[in-house]
Amino acid sequence: MIELGDIISPQTHSLQVWLVVLLLAPIGSFLCSCLLKKSAPIISSGVIGLTTVLSIYLAINNWQIEPTIIKGNWFRIGNSQLTYAMMIDQLMLVMAVVVNFISFLVHFFSIEYMKKDKRKPRYFAFLGIFTFSMMGIVLFHDLLLMFVFWELVGLSSYLLIGFWFEKKSASRAANKAFIVNRIGDLGFITGLMILFTQFQTFDLEAVKTLMVVSEIEDGNWISQFMIQGQEVVSSLDGRWLSAAGIALFCGAVGKSAQFPLQIWLPDAMEGPTPVSALIHAATMVAAGVYLLARIFVLLDAQALEVVAVVGAITAFMAAIAALSQFDIKKVLAYSTISQLGYMVMAMGIGAYTAGLFHLVTHAFFKAGLFLSAGIIIHQLHKLETDDIKFDAQDMRVMGGLRKKLPITFFAFLICSLALVGLPGFSGFISKDAILLDLAVWSDIKGGGFYIPEVLAFATVLFTGFYTFRMILLVFFGEFRLPGITGAKNLGDRLKDGNLNLLLPAIILAVLSFGFAFTGLGFSAESSWLAHALETPVYIVPISYAAQSLVDISEQTFKDLHGLVTVVATGLALVGIVIALISYRPNAKLEQSFIERREPVGMFGQVSFYHWYLDAFYRKFILKFFMLFSQASSWFDRKVIDGIVNLIPKITVISAHLTKWFDRYLVDGIVNLSANLAGRVGQATRSIQGGNVQLYIALSFVFVILLMLYLVF
Amino acid sequence: MELDYILLLSALLFVIGLFVVITRKNAIMVLIGIELMLNAANLNLIAFSSYDGSLQGQIFSIFLITVAAAEAAVGLAIVVKVYNYFRTADLDKINELKG
Repeated sequence: MIELGDIISPQTHSLQVWLVVLLLAPIGSFLCSCLLKKSAPIISSGVIGLTTVLSIYLAINNWQIEPTIIKGNWFRIGNSQLTYAMMIDQLMLVMAVVVNFISFLVHFFSIEYMKKDKRKPRYFAFLGIFTFSMMGIVLFHDLLLMFVFWELVGLSSYLLIGFWFEKKSASRAANKAFIVNRIGDLGFITGLMILFTQFQTFDLEAVKTLMVVSEIEDGNWISQFMIQGQEVVSSLDGRWLSAAGIALFCGAVGKSAQFPLQIWLPDAMEGPTPVSALIHAATMVAAGVYLLARIFVLLDAQALEVVAVVGAITAFMAAIAALSQFDIKKVLAYSTISQLGYMVMAMGIGAYTAGLFHLVTHAFFKAGLFLSAGIIIHQLHKLETDDIKFDAQDMRVMGGLRKKLPITFFAFLICSLALVGLPGFSGFISKDAILLDLAVWSDIKGGGFYIPEVLAFATVLFTGFYTFRMILLVFFGEFRLPGITGAKNLGDRLKDGNLNLLLPAIILAVLSFGFAFTGLGFSAESSWLAHALETPVYIVPISYAAQSLVDISEQTFKDLHGLVTVVATGLALVGIVIALISYRPNAKLEQSFIERREPVGMFGQVSFYHWYLDAFYRKFILKFFMLFSQASSWFDRKVIDGIVNLIPKITVISAHLTKWFDRYLVDGIVNLSANLAGRVGQATRSIQGGNVQLYIALSFVFVILLMLYLVF
Repeated sequence: MELDYILLLSALLFVIGLFVVITRKNAIMVLIGIELMLNAANLNLIAFSSYDGSLQGQIFSIFLITVAAAEAAVGLAIVVKVYNYFRTADLDKINELKG
């Protein structure tokens, strides 16, 4: 039998110093930004640059490392020893590089982007907090600490979305993101509680060790282990096993903007664009997928099905919503949700490697897209004068930017091609891997499980369409802004950004090519990354475990691979072609785009309003919630306040009673005894008048009385 | 001689002594009253001693007379001191304890 104390006992490793440095350096960046107001951008970029170098160095040096865990005791409550644990494995190293690298590029980009903002130090300080908390999630291998940093990430996201808090919409968006995430976190903490109830520890590795030996008997989930030599048997209903997985997944649903909590991400675009690139595209929203990867082996078949279906629905819904947006960042936001849906779905179908691969490739090409969009927005903002006001994110004012911003255009195009998933680009490799695994999974499951497959492939088509619609509207045709404002030569002042802006976008664009991940290979199997992130096998009790894709023969994959690749690429191309036909320069839709307002027709509106999810929440959930809060307010005022008011009344009455009792009874007794003593004193003192002879006479009288008494 | 008469005499003597102690105001008179009561007790001792034939009581009374003489000396000395202090020997005037 396993002794819990043994599997959570402290362990050290020579690398832990570097991990702590990696974790704490961004906090240093935060402090520097707070203290050194003037040089905050340079210093914090420098610090994050150093951590990037450190993380890359660690990754290269320790790439072949066996998964190693660093543990230590944190604190004790009662009989429970709480520990902290850090994991050194390829997944952590990859994530550390991705987070630090993109964070560094965003810092670098922001030096120029935020140049005119008077709250620069605050901005870079917030970026520091974010990087710190994200590294916390990545480094710690302990559910409780992950949850702590999970919340910190939510906080920094809140702070950065609401960075321009003077804008009502920005502060509302920040609140929305925070509150919606709270709902997901409620699920996360429920999952924590279930696992802790069963295993008495938060340490993920210990949980996994105990999960391996736990069993299902008569529908009960039984786990036996020892705590300090005493045998402990935890038994829960078997459904709690699925519930734990689904509850933890709820955390990912909130953070990674999955159905039904994805409504916060489009609004989060109110934040500065580099922030959107870092937090709401590349890293934080991927934290949900990272969490799923960490708890991957703890998920049972039912939980995995939920994950897969939610992911597929999200991918599809968001792709539809992206079709008709006017705001360039909204399109990117919906496409982010859609791609996150892919990753989550990949986790759900057991395509661990493919999902994480997509996380990494997506982090690069989507950050690249956001930064390129940031350049466009930044350069357009420069055209704004006191007379000319416009929304620099609105695609209706763009058009023809290819000639003005050529480098940005190429960066944007390359990242877009990766997003669409055309062969040769990183997005193709990872998406292809996911779709292949999905096809195999659907074939195994059969029946209704073909629906995720259909949704996922449809999403490929829509992705091609909305991406090229965006490219055509932004970069091709005529520059529409002069027509709107009436200032004819406005376009002449528009030029490409400087090196600070362009370099990060170029680097990310280069990393969006397929060769960055596979060398000369064509598919995910030939990628160094896929080899590092082998799919682990499920360790939940066998009757609850899903069928692992690892167990499927290679041949099954090979047979389907060609078909999947052709269909996916074909669909993407079809999407692109439709976009080209409808939005090519001088096409009818392109010409009328400038005066387009909210779309007409059922499909257009459903798309534009993101399936009316916001309205649904407002109409039903919010309304119900308001009613509920009104009811509880009434209850509070009438019942609770009534009770509260009753108590003083009763107190006053009882005080009066006590007063009467005190005055007449207690005081009465006290006065009586005092009076009595006085009277006795009065009586006795009269015979002690100092007259000695009287004493003698009296003593004789009493002696005689005594003698009379004794004699008779 | 009848024992009863002697006892009556001693009782009479005791009562006279007591009367003197209680009624007289002068401290010296009170002291004399006390001597009277003491001698009443001596008389009793002697009476009982001659009645039962042993000499114990008579010897005891001789001791008593001696002690009484010493006691009277001490008592008179105190009275002299009191008189020196208060300039009077009137018991009603030298009482300090007033209830």
